[in-house]
Amino acid sequence: MALLQISEPGQTTAPHQHRLAVGIDLGTTNSLVATVRSAQAQTLPDENGHHLLPSVVRYGEEVIEVGDAAVEHAVKDPSNTIVSVKRLMGRAAADLKSLGESSPYEFSTGDSSVAKIKTRSGDVSAVEVSAEILKTLKNRAIATLGDDLVGAVITVPAYFDDAQRQATKDAARLADLNVLRLLNEPTAAAVAYGLDTGQEGVIAIYDLGGGTFDISILRLKQGVFEVLATGGDSALGGDDFDHVIAEWMLQQAAYKKTPSPSLVRLLMREARSAKEQLASDNEVNIKVEAEDFKWQGVLSLSQMRDLIEPLIKKTIMACRRSLRDADVSAEDVLEVVMVGGSTRTLAVREMVGEFFQREPLVSIDPDKVVAVGAALQADVLAGNKPGDEMLLLDVIPLSLGIETMGGLSEKIIYRNTPIPVAKAQDFTTYKDGQTAMAVHVVQGERELVDDCRSLARFDLRGFPPSVAGAARIRVTYQVDADGLLTVSAREENSGVEASVDVKPSYGLTDSEIETMLRDSMDHASDDMHSRMLREQQVEAERVVEALDAALKKDGDELLSEEEKGNISEARELLVNAKASDDSENIKAAIKKLENACADYVARRMNSNIRNAMQGHSVEEYAGKDQE
Amino acid sequence: MTTDILSSNFFALFDVPVSYDVDLDLVQQRYRDLQKAVHPDKFVNASDQEKRISMQQTSRINEAFNALRQPVDRAIYLLSLKGVDLNLENETTMDAVFLMGQMEMREALSEIHSADDPLAELDDFSRQIKDKMKSMMDGFSQALESDRLDDAREWVRKMQFMQKAKKEVDELSAKIEDELY
Repeated sequence: MALLQISEPGQTTAPHQHRLAVGIDLGTTNSLVATVRSAQAQTLPDENGHHLLPSVVRYGEEVIEVGDAAVEHAVKDPSNTIVSVKRLMGRAAADLKSLGESSPYEFSTGDSSVAKIKTRSGDVSAVEVSAEILKTLKNRAIATLGDDLVGAVITVPAYFDDAQRQATKDAARLADLNVLRLLNEPTAAAVAYGLDTGQEGVIAIYDLGGGTFDISILRLKQGVFEVLATGGDSALGGDDFDHVIAEWMLQQAAYKKTPSPSLVRLLMREARSAKEQLASDNEVNIKVEAEDFKWQGVLSLSQMRDLIEPLIKKTIMACRRSLRDADVSAEDVLEVVMVGGSTRTLAVREMVGEFFQREPLVSIDPDKVVAVGAALQADVLAGNKPGDEMLLLDVIPLSLGIETMGGLSEKIIYRNTPIPVAKAQDFTTYKDGQTAMAVHVVQGERELVDDCRSLARFDLRGFPPSVAGAARIRVTYQVDADGLLTVSAREENSGVEASVDVKPSYGLTDSEIETMLRDSMDHASDDMHSRMLREQQVEAERVVEALDAALKKDGDELLSEEEKGNISEARELLVNAKASDDSENIKAAIKKLENACADYVARRMNSNIRNAMQGHSVEEYAGKDQE
Repeated sequence: MTTDILSSNFFALFDVPVSYDVDLDLVQQRYRDLQKAVHPDKFVNASDQEKRISMQQTSRINEAFNALRQPVDRAIYLLSLKGVDLNLENETTMDAVFLMGQMEMREALSEIHSADDPLAELDDFSRQIKDKMKSMMDGFSQALESDRLDDAREWVRKMQFMQKAKKEVDELSAKIEDELY
């Protein structure tokens, strides 16, 4: 993707043209895709009218099934049907073992350090499984909206570390989806409710899904969403409600035996539907007849409340803890946003409302709210709202450090630092004659490296030997706007350098992704050549249009006659190349024009800052506020 | 061409006077304006070169913002502008009374477990630390204004001690809460 679009920030060259972008909530249990149409953000249904896509992928004998089709086969074919793959994202084989025996899959490590699940279609990584889900959602969007998809905003939990974010981005790349931005789920939910333009203050996002609970405390200040604290329970959700209700039924029916797996499934289903009915009714009649189980009875709202109250209390405890971590009290919380299907349960809303002493926000479907917020942000990023002032600034959720002598983590970038950010720190050798240094990158708040998460290791080798403490090794951490890290090390006296994009430990290497992409292309019936040619032609058109617009605006001001001549020459070359049907030729001409414009672009970017800082006055700010 | 703005000092970048008593509201406002001009989200559809420059500019602005808004970081940065490097090992000996106070505090913290209401006492510690920090900031500001750089440096060292103490108090609170619930 070599785009050369010299445009004003926040403006596209063709403002009349709506650029299609989607928001994707890639969830543990369900996933959704949403987009902004006629100024409304809405989730997109499949051909059966279902908005929620179960995050389930089955590697069948002939085809890969995703969603409802995969769910149907999950019971019969558990080892080839992958559920809750999000829990495995960015995890290495060693991490997966610590998940316990609960996992039904067989893992294989193979040549790559990435853990893979054994299926009948071969070993698949969590990234590949997620890519199947993303592909399904992408195809749904294309089928509904036409095929010019600019890109997607994909949501991730606020606590996702670098490896998990990288894995999510890799999955998108594998699904041939351009990621405009990774967005924190709680931030997306807040955006869906328009809180980014509202009053400044502390916002709590209470997210209770089927199997997970997350609480995030955010602070909105001057358009910056800061994640103050996150907490939760990765093994607590609405399914646990169903479980206690099912147990209650067994108890009521005085069923003494150990229920068979199929009976348990049936009772869970009945419990779930009873729970859902109690979101609107005061009581529900339940009648179950299966195998040797026969029972009929009534479950009232208050009875259910008694049953699930201990579980909800657990979530409230986590809220209390997160508030303390954030150093705010319940009264400081301005709004509480409810996310996740399980927040439809009335008892949950009541107890959450009681704890925060305010009515939680529930007007947007809690299953869809994250996708809706992501779609709104995607619309802004795609450039559809040139006048929009919205800018979400994110912070890094966990501190990034480096291992120093004694297995201690020296923090280089602290949590809650706004991103993107770069930070350098100098280190030295501890032995005489040392010519190499191992760099171990870790993430987490704890002092000991063993308690933090290991992200990457690499060596800086071949600097000249000297006495201990004489070498000066500058290690630089650069985190981009998506929270992804690049680390480089340089011995300053000799200029020896090494750097790493942090992903080899858990993510996929570039070559692995290339191979996977090529494999998937082979299967596609698309004519690759005509597709690439079309892409390059569109690209060329965009580049020329953008350049013309920029030249018109400030070309005379920023360029000498000679420079203008060079650019115009390269532009002419590209216009001619575009007419040919050789995509490589067009690509080369784009590159050439890019190079010719390099200085010009740099100057424009600099004048950009100057303009932002020019002519400040109190009146100006007052005027802006009134808009 | 020039990258003068990015290599200029943090105060100049934010167009605020070089002083410890910086107007934090104004810094916030300028931060927001700068971000609107340079943030990568404004260059999603731009060329790789623009994306790269946008990231460098934003990183620099974030670095400056962090240094300006945190009391200890701001102090360290101001000293560095005066050519004083805090990382140098040749430390002057610190105020004995201050060190004494620190030791007493550590001792009190280590015994807090057996207190009747440890959380309340820890809250009390937090408040004390906050107050002390406030007066240290004043001390630093005055020392810097009158160019007593050794004094200013000592104030920073004390602030760093307090910052560390605050972290310990917070961690201890979390630990005791875990035990209670």
